Amino acid sequence: MIVPMNMVLGLSAVLFAIGVFGFLARRNIILMLVSVEVMLNAVNLSLAGFSQHLENPRGQILALFVIAVAAAEVGVGLGLVIALNRNKPGAGVSDLTKLKW
Amino acid sequence: MTDATALAAFYYMAAASVASAILAVTRRNPVHSMLWVLALFMHVAGIFLLLDAEFLAAVQVIVYAGAILIFYLFVLMLLDLPDEEIRPRFGNHWPLAAAVGLCFAALAWIAQVEPLETVEAGKGQALESLRDVGMALFGQFALPFEIAGLVLLAAIVGAVVLARRRIGL
Repeated sequence: MIVPMNMVLGLSAVLFAIGVFGFLARRNIILMLVSVEVMLNAVNLSLAGFSQHLENPRGQILALFVIAVAAAEVGVGLGLVIALNRNKPGAGVSDLTKLKW
Repeated sequence: MTDATALAAFYYMAAASVASAILAVTRRNPVHSMLWVLALFMHVAGIFLLLDAEFLAAVQVIVYAGAILIFYLFVLMLLDLPDEEIRPRFGNHWPLAAAVGLCFAALAWIAQVEPLETVEAGKGQALESLRDVGMALFGQFALPFEIAGLVLLAAIVGAVVLARRRIGL
């Protein structure tokens, strides 16, 4: 094994924390979704690391499913953004406090 | 590739991915954020290569960088966001968000400091990445694979229903 597993897990933790910060701090709904992508990438990284560490392809399979679900999430999420934008222009979540307008 | 070069490559890609992730969540212009996320995805794909996950690296570049990111950019260009650069980047509670992020990073870091027990040699066979992944995906995991296809179909239909213009409403 070339890359030590602990380094991979540490990198994954740092990337996930950056994603958490971005999701909680940004007020633009598109950039919040992008922060979710950063978090998913961090999880994929640790899954690939475990796959190599345990010499088992299941980690990679799970990462592939994560990517597929991420694609679905992006489709629905951005569809929602477009639908919201039609009613009220802008992508700030602070403007979207009313369910009906 | 020797071990030292591979380790140096890993350190470079780890540093670059952390830097581009930080830039991606802090840039004011959303398009710049997207470009930094692209840099992040490319470096993560490089780390996948170092972890013997060639197929995952290819999927990362084709699906994430090629499809998902372009989708984000399309929506970003479709929406007119002229005041995005004037508005505050973060909500008022951003120190709280930073504290939550730091706490999570510290927790995960503490959890991974303990050295992991190694698999004894010969227990798992060496990975032939693409062949093993393909055999597992279409053999043992055939049903989840089909369900993933169904999830994607539901997402496509859902996105069309959500984003379509309702006539007479």
